[in-house]
Amino acid sequence: MFKLNLKIAFRNLLKHKIASLINISGLAIGLAASLMLLLYVQYQWSYDKQFGNSENIYHLMVNFYGADKSITGTTPQVSNVLPLVLKEERPEIENISRVLWASRRLVANGQNSFKVEGRYADPDLLRIFKFDYLSGNPNKAFDDPNSIVLTEATAKRLFGSTDVLNKTVRFENQANLKVTAVIRDLPPNFTYGFECLTPWKLYENLNVWPAKQNWDNNSYFTLLTLKNGADPNAFNQKIKNTIARNMATKTLEAAPFVYPLEKYHLYGHFTNGVADGGQIEQVRIFIILALGILAIACINFMNLSTARSQKRAKEVGIRKTIGASRASLVMQFLLESFILTIVSVIIAVVLVEIFLPAFNGLLNTKLQISYASTGNWFAVTGLILFTGLIAGSYPAFFLSSFNPVQALKKTVTFKGNFSLSFRQVLVIIQFGFAIVLIVATLILYQQLQYLKNRPLGYDTNALVEMPHEGNLYPKFDLFKDRLLNSGAVTSITQSSGSIAFQNSNTSGLEWQGMAEDDKKMSFDLIQTTFDFLKTNNIRLISGRDFSKNFASDSSALMLNETAVERMGLKNPLGQRVLFNGKQRPVVGVFADVLWDEPTRRLRPMAIVFNAENSDVITMRLNTTRSIRENIDQITKITKELNPDFPVEIRFVDNLVAEKFEHEQMLSVISNLFAGLSIFVSCLGLFGLSAFSAEQRTKEIGVRKVLGASITGIISLLSVSFVKTVLIAIVLAMPIGYLIMDNWLMQFDYHISIGPVVFILTGISSILIALFTVSWQAYRAAKANPVDALKYE
Amino acid sequence: MIELKNIEKYYANKGVKSYILRHVTTSIKQGEFVSIMGPSGAGKSTLLNILGMLEEPTYGQYEFMGEDVVSLNERKRIELYRNHIGFVFQAYHLIDEMTVAENIEAPLLYKKVPGSERKSRVADILDRFNMVAKSDLFPNQLSGGQQQLVGIARALVAQPSIILADEPTGNLQSAQALQIMDLFKKLNEEEGITIVQVTHSEVNAAYGSRILHLLDGVIKEDVTVQQTV
Repeated sequence: MFKLNLKIAFRNLLKHKIASLINISGLAIGLAASLMLLLYVQYQWSYDKQFGNSENIYHLMVNFYGADKSITGTTPQVSNVLPLVLKEERPEIENISRVLWASRRLVANGQNSFKVEGRYADPDLLRIFKFDYLSGNPNKAFDDPNSIVLTEATAKRLFGSTDVLNKTVRFENQANLKVTAVIRDLPPNFTYGFECLTPWKLYENLNVWPAKQNWDNNSYFTLLTLKNGADPNAFNQKIKNTIARNMATKTLEAAPFVYPLEKYHLYGHFTNGVADGGQIEQVRIFIILALGILAIACINFMNLSTARSQKRAKEVGIRKTIGASRASLVMQFLLESFILTIVSVIIAVVLVEIFLPAFNGLLNTKLQISYASTGNWFAVTGLILFTGLIAGSYPAFFLSSFNPVQALKKTVTFKGNFSLSFRQVLVIIQFGFAIVLIVATLILYQQLQYLKNRPLGYDTNALVEMPHEGNLYPKFDLFKDRLLNSGAVTSITQSSGSIAFQNSNTSGLEWQGMAEDDKKMSFDLIQTTFDFLKTNNIRLISGRDFSKNFASDSSALMLNETAVERMGLKNPLGQRVLFNGKQRPVVGVFADVLWDEPTRRLRPMAIVFNAENSDVITMRLNTTRSIRENIDQITKITKELNPDFPVEIRFVDNLVAEKFEHEQMLSVISNLFAGLSIFVSCLGLFGLSAFSAEQRTKEIGVRKVLGASITGIISLLSVSFVKTVLIAIVLAMPIGYLIMDNWLMQFDYHISIGPVVFILTGISSILIALFTVSWQAYRAAKANPVDALKYE
Repeated sequence: MIELKNIEKYYANKGVKSYILRHVTTSIKQGEFVSIMGPSGAGKSTLLNILGMLEEPTYGQYEFMGEDVVSLNERKRIELYRNHIGFVFQAYHLIDEMTVAENIEAPLLYKKVPGSERKSRVADILDRFNMVAKSDLFPNQLSGGQQQLVGIARALVAQPSIILADEPTGNLQSAQALQIMDLFKKLNEEEGITIVQVTHSEVNAAYGSRILHLLDGVIKEDVTVQQTV
């Protein structure tokens, strides 16, 4: 029986080519989309869990308390001394290691020199994460401060081989380090990824300030493992007062606690000290999208099968009269749906392989299907079972329920009863989902444009920046003169951070007439010397930029409009502001610069004169010459003055564009899925209209004989579908509005949702639906009525 | 073999009962060849469907081989069809997606007859009906008469004790119709298979041993046919 049913299932597939094509392509698209999304979900899910023992690894975090003893903030960064104290005081700690943020570090071996992502960490880190060692001993690798652990790829790039133990690497042009271990490349979904790892001790040796124990500077990540059986909650109780007990001067009230690393990536966002989500929200959106698009494809399958049921009814009747039981018919229909699903899954996997690179580019990930993993095979089998069952269940149970006599007499009534209305409900669900996505897409697009159009307050055109490093420190003035003389740039400045994104802030500024609470006011902070406003083309409201003509400017400061307003300064120029223990005169007030995320409101900003703290050199290119020419000139001069470092010139407009990456990504994803879901829904609608036209052939024939016009018949056939889509529009739009309104609320700077979006969505969905069904209606209407009436 | 007592069938529509069958009481013995005749709408097909357990009477008693059919559950009823009843339809009702051989084999599959026996029985019957050459064709590649032969072969392959035929020659030309009726007669006489057919044709009815005349749901006449041929 099984073999025969299998044969018949294939014959059916081939016989009804259009229906099979609609079913398989719809399902394949739905499955491919959901497979890709689920790959991404799996990627997010396995974050930081790759090195075993992950359930026992904790992240040290700190809660900050406000004046009323409530938690005002939570940060994953702690002071450099807290981990040391904890290690001494708490015997439950097995391993504990500080980890520095990743930075581009220069590595060289005489022939090759390039920058890689590097981190500093304590020796315990190599015991916390069980990396895969190609060579070297994790317990001894960091015994000597002048050691370096390389990943496979870095070792190959440097030496052309992974067999490089004990070879020397020139690090940051500052120290010669011995390679003490080579590990396999780290997965991209690892929070603390790096391409080279160096001992914390080296960090302290190479820089003066990190060596100083400082309770105030909460900048460092810390990971730890607890000894077997240690309860993290009890542990948190014990360490709660560590900061309070040890801090000499109480500038803030803070309590450390440990948080499972496994949850850190997905549930890393805290409000009032309570974890309330994080990346998990995006994962949830993706799961909903995956299930939604799969549901749309399944609905197509269900609808087309039931629409075809009149044809299949006869077969059911015959089979029942020759002795088929209901169960055997259910099995037969399920078998058909499983065959379809399996074929679709195969096509879906091919589609995924084709589109995964683009998807990876979009999400900035390195997803791939690992065919070797048994878990994936289980998941795919599960997906086939799930999809096959969902898609096949309704036809299976519906068709098998036919009474044989009625089925054979063709008196099974399909109109006006349960089956039709259920089909309509399914179409409403499909289009509802698609319409919500269209609304979301349009609003996302509007919001993105709104953000992009937000004035930055500086001019990104022909603005470039490069790291301030190596010899460029002592030779900065020479560098500046040579560049200006070369004509490649019209202006150049150094600063503590890039103009493109917020990278530093401070609080505790004092000025005359301030309120007590103003001490907590947080200022964006840029430290620079001359020509900062000029180079970035920031508008000066009053006063002047720092100038060489005023010797006192070496301790001066400028404020933005928002700062002046929030500080309540009536005549800001000449006022003195205390910063870093120095009274500084305000010499200028400049127009607001959008430095933070473009979705946030403007913040007070202070630009402080400080030649000592500089990481970035910003230059405005000479626009009368070609960009290529300018860049070549800059590269040449930089190479001459700072030969040990590669030249990395970046365009500020590209850096600014990165700030929109998340919104851009969401916009593309919603675009893509709105498109896919409307396409798959329309495939289904097309199939349904075809069957409806076929079912009503006789009616159309009679109507034509009685004198109905072609347009009359087209509207007769189309109107019920359009009505269904209309219902979907009415139901889906409020849902879309609520979801998107809620989404926009999280931003300080957002559009308000207008009626245009909904009018546009409504009109376009109806037009698309009409276009889809009218083709079939037209064909049916054009047919010769004699053929229709001759039928049987 | 079949005992019908007071069978009634009606549809209630807006409170008005429209009767299809009224007070039908009759019995059919093993080996009989019964024709049910009557004008359109007399309830012939409904009676046949009730005999074949495809429809349930609204009221009345139906015993098939000593079992009370009305009280049987669906599984038992399916058991009964599989083992004792073969259907032949006016529109043949072959499964379009199956070949001739597969159509004939299908009832055996549902009866869970083992593979080797299935093959031999299908081969046997194809041979008997001279259709070996057509065994791999699909129904739409056959003429109406040939399709009906397949239909009968399918009904016979499960070795039923009774064949219920609803106007088996209704869609056929007269020559083919005669061939089918000859086949029925032969099956009835040589193999002792009980046959109940619904027909409009006096000629066809003459092949049987007994005629039930139905009019407006009531058996008007029950006559034994004098074998003239």
